[in-house]
Amino acid sequence: MSIQIIINGLAVGSVYALIATGFSLIFNILKFSNFSHGALMTLSAFIGYFFAVKTGSSLIPVIIVSMLAGGLVAYIGEFVAFRKITLRSTSPVYYFVSSITLGTLYEGIVTIWVGPNFYNYPRFFQSMVVNIGGFVISKPDLIMFISSCLALALLVIFIQKTRLGRALRSVSFDRDTAGLMGINVFGIIQLAFFISGALAGLSGVFLGINYTLYPQLGNLVVKGFIASVIGGLGSIFGAVVGAILLGLTETLLINFVGSGYAPVFSFLIMLAFLLIRPQGIAGSNVQEKA
Amino acid sequence: MKKFLAIFLAVLMIVGMTACGSSQPEAESPSETPQQEETAPEGDIVIGVLQDITGVTSTLGKMVQEGAQWAADEINAAGGINGRKVKLVTYDTKADVQEAINAYNRMTTTDKVSAIIGPPVANITIAIAPISEQYNVPVLHFAIDDRATIKDDGTPYKNMFLFQPSAKQQGAIMGKFAVEEQGLKKFGIIYNQSNAYSVSLLEPFKNTVESLGAKVVAEVPYQPNDKDFKTMLNKLVSAGAEAIYAPNYTQELILIVQQARAIGFDGRLICGLDACPPFPTLCGPEADGVIYINNITETEPQIQGIIEAYKQKTGNDATNKFFLGYDVMKILAKIIEEVGDDPVAIRDAIENLSGFQGLTGNITIDPNTHQTKGLEMVMHEIQNQAPVMLKRYSAEQ
Repeated sequence: MSIQIIINGLAVGSVYALIATGFSLIFNILKFSNFSHGALMTLSAFIGYFFAVKTGSSLIPVIIVSMLAGGLVAYIGEFVAFRKITLRSTSPVYYFVSSITLGTLYEGIVTIWVGPNFYNYPRFFQSMVVNIGGFVISKPDLIMFISSCLALALLVIFIQKTRLGRALRSVSFDRDTAGLMGINVFGIIQLAFFISGALAGLSGVFLGINYTLYPQLGNLVVKGFIASVIGGLGSIFGAVVGAILLGLTETLLINFVGSGYAPVFSFLIMLAFLLIRPQGIAGSNVQEKA
Repeated sequence: MKKFLAIFLAVLMIVGMTACGSSQPEAESPSETPQQEETAPEGDIVIGVLQDITGVTSTLGKMVQEGAQWAADEINAAGGINGRKVKLVTYDTKADVQEAINAYNRMTTTDKVSAIIGPPVANITIAIAPISEQYNVPVLHFAIDDRATIKDDGTPYKNMFLFQPSAKQQGAIMGKFAVEEQGLKKFGIIYNQSNAYSVSLLEPFKNTVESLGAKVVAEVPYQPNDKDFKTMLNKLVSAGAEAIYAPNYTQELILIVQQARAIGFDGRLICGLDACPPFPTLCGPEADGVIYINNITETEPQIQGIIEAYKQKTGNDATNKFFLGYDVMKILAKIIEEVGDDPVAIRDAIENLSGFQGLTGNITIDPNTHQTKGLEMVMHEIQNQAPVMLKRYSAEQ
């Protein structure tokens, strides 16, 4: 029983982790919380949905299409909404306002496109559950968990081990100096947005499979935000730890105090972190930058 | 130059906003004509239709509206009522209470409708009920919550009439059926704490199963934004529930049923009206074994005929709400034929309606409650993602 709760918590946490990572990536580079991330998840999930319905394809192509779509939209979004602000180096408040506006625009596009109703992805698996050692695990959850781990591992390898990753880190650390060292700063920013958008596409598809698709699906981004605050804004490692922690806490709370109070406790935990350890679990270098 | 551009953009935005604002009242329904008084020919009988056409419950509202329109078209094609045509005036509530109240006031005061076909949504109908006391226009609605028809002192609102079994009756029907016909003894309940429909079906079910010797072993409320029900369902299963009662809206129901199967629960799920098609196909194979209540059964020849004709014409499937709208329009036509289109006369005739054979059953209104009396519901089971009729059942049985 209690193991079952932990399995559920891990499943929920792994989606939060995907959302929080997409968030952190942008925070890392431009030092602001990209609130259009949620609506971007919805938009790319819907693109994946219509691709799945039209072509009847299996899960992997749908994920690829959604990730590409998410990446592309984020790439364009950066150019439209954030490029000027970055160029002028004006107050970060403009990023904030611009990202909220962009998010509203995405959500508006989705609502006009599909209407206020909900949709359900076509079925990708024959049976929905697998039995492992006496425990019942839902197949979408398992695949979601595995692909989250895979995507995050790839991302970490990319950031830590490749030349582009090193460039990304240096831009995040000091944009101007990185530029002077011959790094194409805007290329790197675009890359970060593309990756963040692709992660939004991936999490959007899984959210859609698990929770049905509707225009306000992106509101779940709040959970990703809480997770990245707990973990330390801007730290990818912290975001993952924070997300898993949040998923586990939520499921445990739902089990013990009921779903009415669970969100209250989630916010309390976030507030406690902001009071006691505002840099989050992992954050250290971010605080001095932010 | 830049300043001019900024001012120009600001002006453009304001113009854009005003354009959006003014286009809103014109809902997509072609029959909505706020200037009804000038345009309607003298002889038309005007019936108001107050439904959610574009909001979150639009799947329900649109169906009632389409059903009423279908019936009105049939009536008009057969020569109208006493030679006069029926004209429906539809207003979109957008699932918003304030919007609905404004539309209601407009219908009763400006459009001078003879009767109103109300929504199948509790919160809107409950809000309209006390306001309706000031007017003399009957509202024929489908909100099963008692508060939409009956005042706190136990007497009915004079203009509010419910045209399907009430929450009490439906909860009792499901409870009786589960215990007596399915032999179930231990129930777990999962319900949406902030949804009047879900909450109103809770107590009658509990009272009925407990009076029949069965037990409710656990109940979990959830919030409207909850998406992960596995932990809550786990709680029900580990408390020993052999069946789960889930009187919830379709979108949540899909998640609940899928996730119940995903945690390995293979017992019965007993659901309300929202498990009727298209739920089985939306939910997928997990829906098999779900038991639910419905106003109609799709296999009846007369209903099937309309479903097919409607599908041919619009490409959509007619759901149970379609037939609720259809039936009340036919009831109104019959009454207006007898007493004329004066709202007060219609109201009195509805109060004493007895034995009207509609597609959703034999309808009699109880003057003491303004709800249907002894109206049967049809219990179904989902097998191979399609509904199979089990039995007709009424609360009085």
